[in-house]
Amino acid sequence: MRWAGSGTARKGFTVATEHSTASRSGFLRLGFAGAGTLSLGAVLASGAPRAEAASPSPALDVQVLNYALLLEELQVAFYAAALDRGKLRGDLRDFARVVVEHEREHVGLLRGALGAKARKVPRFSFGAAVSNPRRFAATALELEDLGVAAYNGQAANLTRDALIAAARIVSVDARHAAWIRAIENRPPSPQATDPAKTRRKVLAEVDRTGFVR
Amino acid sequence: MIRGAALAALGGVTIGVALLLLDRSSDSPPVTRPSLVAAVPADDPLAPAPAPGLSIPAPRLLANGEAVSVWAPLRASAVVRAAPSSNASALGTLPARTPEGTTNIALVTGNGVDRQALWVPVRAAGLTGWISRAALGGYQTVDTLLEVDTRAFTATLHRAGRVVFSAPVGVGTVDAPTPTGDFFVRNVLTRYSSAAYGPIAFGTSARSETLTDWPAGGFVGIHGTDRPDLLPGRVSHGCIRLRNIDILALARLMPVGTPVTIT
Amino acid sequence: MDTYFEQFDRDGALRETEAALPAETRRDLLLGALAGGTALALFASEPASAATKGDVAILNYALVLEYLQSSFYTEAERRKALRTATAKQTARVLGSVERAHVAALEQALGSAAVKRPFFDFRGTTENEDAFIRTGVAFEDLGAAAYKGQAHRIQSKALLQAAISIHSVEARHAAWIRYLAGTTPASSAFDEPKTMAQVNRLVASTGFIVRRPTTRSRRRPRFTG
Repeated sequence: MRWAGSGTARKGFTVATEHSTASRSGFLRLGFAGAGTLSLGAVLASGAPRAEAASPSPALDVQVLNYALLLEELQVAFYAAALDRGKLRGDLRDFARVVVEHEREHVGLLRGALGAKARKVPRFSFGAAVSNPRRFAATALELEDLGVAAYNGQAANLTRDALIAAARIVSVDARHAAWIRAIENRPPSPQATDPAKTRRKVLAEVDRTGFVR
Repeated sequence: MIRGAALAALGGVTIGVALLLLDRSSDSPPVTRPSLVAAVPADDPLAPAPAPGLSIPAPRLLANGEAVSVWAPLRASAVVRAAPSSNASALGTLPARTPEGTTNIALVTGNGVDRQALWVPVRAAGLTGWISRAALGGYQTVDTLLEVDTRAFTATLHRAGRVVFSAPVGVGTVDAPTPTGDFFVRNVLTRYSSAAYGPIAFGTSARSETLTDWPAGGFVGIHGTDRPDLLPGRVSHGCIRLRNIDILALARLMPVGTPVTIT
Repeated sequence: MDTYFEQFDRDGALRETEAALPAETRRDLLLGALAGGTALALFASEPASAATKGDVAILNYALVLEYLQSSFYTEAERRKALRTATAKQTARVLGSVERAHVAALEQALGSAAVKRPFFDFRGTTENEDAFIRTGVAFEDLGAAAYKGQAHRIQSKALLQAAISIHSVEARHAAWIRYLAGTTPASSAFDEPKTMAQVNRLVASTGFIVRRPTTRSRRRPRFTG
């Protein structure tokens, strides 16, 4: 598995460098409460039994990444189709333009990592979901939230490198989700944590959209 | 009727598409709907996520903030001014430390703050006015309030609007009365040895109006006593005295910064 | 949000005000700040030890960041100095979620939890622009911090918890950027930050300060 480096130029936030008042930088440290504790033992040892779970491995990564690839290709196709139809305006159009490029890059990273093991992806057809702006917004919200739940549902199945990459992707998908929610005047996050969904559940929801041909 | 066969995923490389043919009558053409989930094996190697190891409660908005007071420590001695401007007249200077050697603190009196957050309205020992934001440290909030009634000889602590403590007190004599008004607790003294003050003493921002030459500024404290027999009554030089058992209980409930209203 | 954190050390307005203080006071402040550093424990670089201890360290690291965020929003709401509906709503909504994160981590860590540090947010909870910019920086930082640790967590259950909090931080980051009128997602990938990077950034804000000393063992000299 080959991972493209995180060389994408980052705009915006930059790491603070040393300041003129060197007195501030470096003297403050986050507190650390020392030794391991027994009180956490029960928590750490728990977690739903995963007796049948395959351990993370490069082979399992391939399955997860192909699953992710399907979802990202679905999103690329959705946003591309909506932009093609030309019915989006204002905030929604800005959103779609930016997001489609991100999703293309996600697809690129996943295909790069999978190489010859990349799956064939089905064709999609979106109907009114890409020609009606209100339907578009509702669908985008659904798909982005679903993508986050899908990645969160697979994090524990991934090897270290794949997890690092997946986190870099889901973070942006979560931004997309909050963005469309902000446009739609909805709260950015339905709860204090994002739920995980199994592959089965996610694909069943994709099936229900009727987009897959 | 024809049933399509689901193609099992092989090593996750390819995915088959299962065809479900719905045939309600022999005359209608078969409808095909691809199903992604049908291709997922019954024993999905992509296991469900483990239950999270943290139990995260539902987000809760803050309770009503009416009972909340805000205070801040002084980072340095600072001039208190009549208006939020360095040109406004100076009303006095707040020292960085109290006579007890603790960090001096000021109570924030309102929402007021100028647009650039340079000035803050405060109340401190005898001074009410505006102070430079840079002279203050980090804000702390308390939801407690102590009411001292010098005629009923009681001290009552409220927390989040509810009474959580009440006790009889001794207050100042007619010649050296406890001042009335709005003050606050600014420090706590413990582990000293002075029976007259009991086990714990709280310093307040209140000053005696009569004992103006008193060393260390003539500040009024809230403390224990070695003469509980004198309570309740007008017995002190202005301090608010509680029985030792009561001051200990109060100390468990009343943080520094608690506003103190004396009537 | 370029060079955002630079503002904190030497915000123009704060600098002008500090210049008004007498020279000795400024020097004392500086020395006081330097001296204060030794009172806080040095945060070890990634401890390589038993799973439990490593995970405890990561949780405590997360807890400090959650304290930072929750204290910031809570203070903004309690201080009541912000005027716009956007700022107030941000403080209310994000504050409620960050407090829930704090509660979860405190509960899991129990007596092993680090204590909440003492914060001085230096006017950023009182000025609309500074508040929104600080919120953006905090949420971006929180997401980057979780990304930096996720692959180091040894317990699968804790990994799951961390990953489900992480995406919420990213949502917040986008939302508050949207409210600030800047792009919610500026690139296709969000990068992780290491503990060292995060510690440096947090230190550079000057928000974590020494606890003021309000207790003493001196003999009372009140009026009596």
